[in-house]
Amino acid sequence: MKHAYIDEYSDIDSYIHRLDPRIKIISLFAFILFVIFTRPTSFIAFALYGVLIAVLFLLSKIPPGFILKRSLVIIPFVLMVAIFIPFFKKGEIAGGYSFGTLKLTVTYDGLMILWNILVKAYLCILSMILLITSTKLSNLLKALEKLKFPSVFVIILSFMYRYIFVVQDELMKMKQAKEARTTGGSRWFHVKVLANMIGVLFMRTYERGENVYFAMCSRGFNGKIKIITGFELKMKDFCFMLIIMSILTVIRIFGS
Amino acid sequence: MTEKAIEIKNLDYSYPDGTEALCNINLDVFEGEFIGIIGPNGAGKSTLLLHLNGIFRGNGNSHIRIFDLDINDKNLAHIRSKVGLVFQDPDNQLFMPTVFDDVAFGPINMSLPKDGVEASVNDALEEVDMVSSIRRPSHHLSFGEKKRVSIATVLSMKPQILALDEPSSNLDPKHRRNLINFLQTLKLTTIIVTHDLDLVVQTCSRVALIDKGKIVAAGNTLDILRNKSLLETHDLEMPNSFF
Repeated sequence: MKHAYIDEYSDIDSYIHRLDPRIKIISLFAFILFVIFTRPTSFIAFALYGVLIAVLFLLSKIPPGFILKRSLVIIPFVLMVAIFIPFFKKGEIAGGYSFGTLKLTVTYDGLMILWNILVKAYLCILSMILLITSTKLSNLLKALEKLKFPSVFVIILSFMYRYIFVVQDELMKMKQAKEARTTGGSRWFHVKVLANMIGVLFMRTYERGENVYFAMCSRGFNGKIKIITGFELKMKDFCFMLIIMSILTVIRIFGS
Repeated sequence: MTEKAIEIKNLDYSYPDGTEALCNINLDVFEGEFIGIIGPNGAGKSTLLLHLNGIFRGNGNSHIRIFDLDINDKNLAHIRSKVGLVFQDPDNQLFMPTVFDDVAFGPINMSLPKDGVEASVNDALEEVDMVSSIRRPSHHLSFGEKKRVSIATVLSMKPQILALDEPSSNLDPKHRRNLINFLQTLKLTTIIVTHDLDLVVQTCSRVALIDKGKIVAAGNTLDILRNKSLLETHDLEMPNSFF
């Protein structure tokens, strides 16, 4: 079995890692709200938010290369949604091109919206990356539970975290077993085999779900998962939250 | 005479699709006894195990008692804290994100106070020598470690009966040896479902041989495991340690 990680840098010992996960969730959620409600023309405010998140990353000792790589994964999705806006938004025209009868124009308003979406999305993604990479996923889930996040979601996430690698492993083994017996065959044949494999994987997952449920019942499960957390709010957790909130407020007031 | 820990009478069970899995099983297990349930693949051994804490209920006249409790809806919670069932696949047994959460799952459901839960988790992990892994995610454990933690997940509930499904399957010789040593130190009533007959010889005093859903022989371990023709008719082999 391959050791796959979702939270591979969560074992670093840093100021950010030692914070109570609940405090991190609240503070970074506040960060996102502040970013979202900033006017697109407040360029200084965005720069300051960027500095703030960069300082937090420095404190967390997470390698910058990793952060960059993780954050860039999301950008294409944002672009896919936002890239056409400058062409369709009406307003003062910034430039245009003609392809025969087809005329494309880009407006200043449209560009502003594009910039707005990109910068906000990127800052929010950075704050989420900080939250996820500096917290063990199991602790993150417990913190969500403690913050009264609907327990169905927490349970689903928790089972996903536990079993995604198991299912992935099963698929990999099936693929290897198939390849070990593959000596040619048409492309269409392989597509059919793949469809069968997906079916088998579904059946196995279903049966595993049944067995896991039996195992849960055997140990007294009665419809509600209860957990014990070792969380303890300390002075420094409150200080962190207060500092972040004040910085955000200051940026909000003086940055725009 | 010691008390009966488990009493099974006229147990019949068919799967929802109609396949008959167990047929007229009668078996008594006494307190403190180690009993091995052996039989070929698909004989119904694991299905029998799932009856011991009421996950499956027999049909019709089936009757199972755990100590002085009948298995019924009212007693279910109580029975499940008395019978610790360890499944064969540790990935099914360990379903919580970390080792601690998993071992604590049972005690929390038994409504123990927080420090009581922590103490029983520690005791259970100590017994299987896994305390150092308490904060690790279950999916990062090796197979042998998963098997040990699986046993800890029920030991933490302080059961009176331990029911193990194929405890030695897929273990390397060293871990298998450790498991046997561990089982030999146990003071609980223990039921082991397996076709690892060497393990049975070293741990169980009594054996029940199941084939096609019926108990075909039951008795002293050595009497049954030395009976070459009986074993071979039911697709088993005499343990290597007898040669």
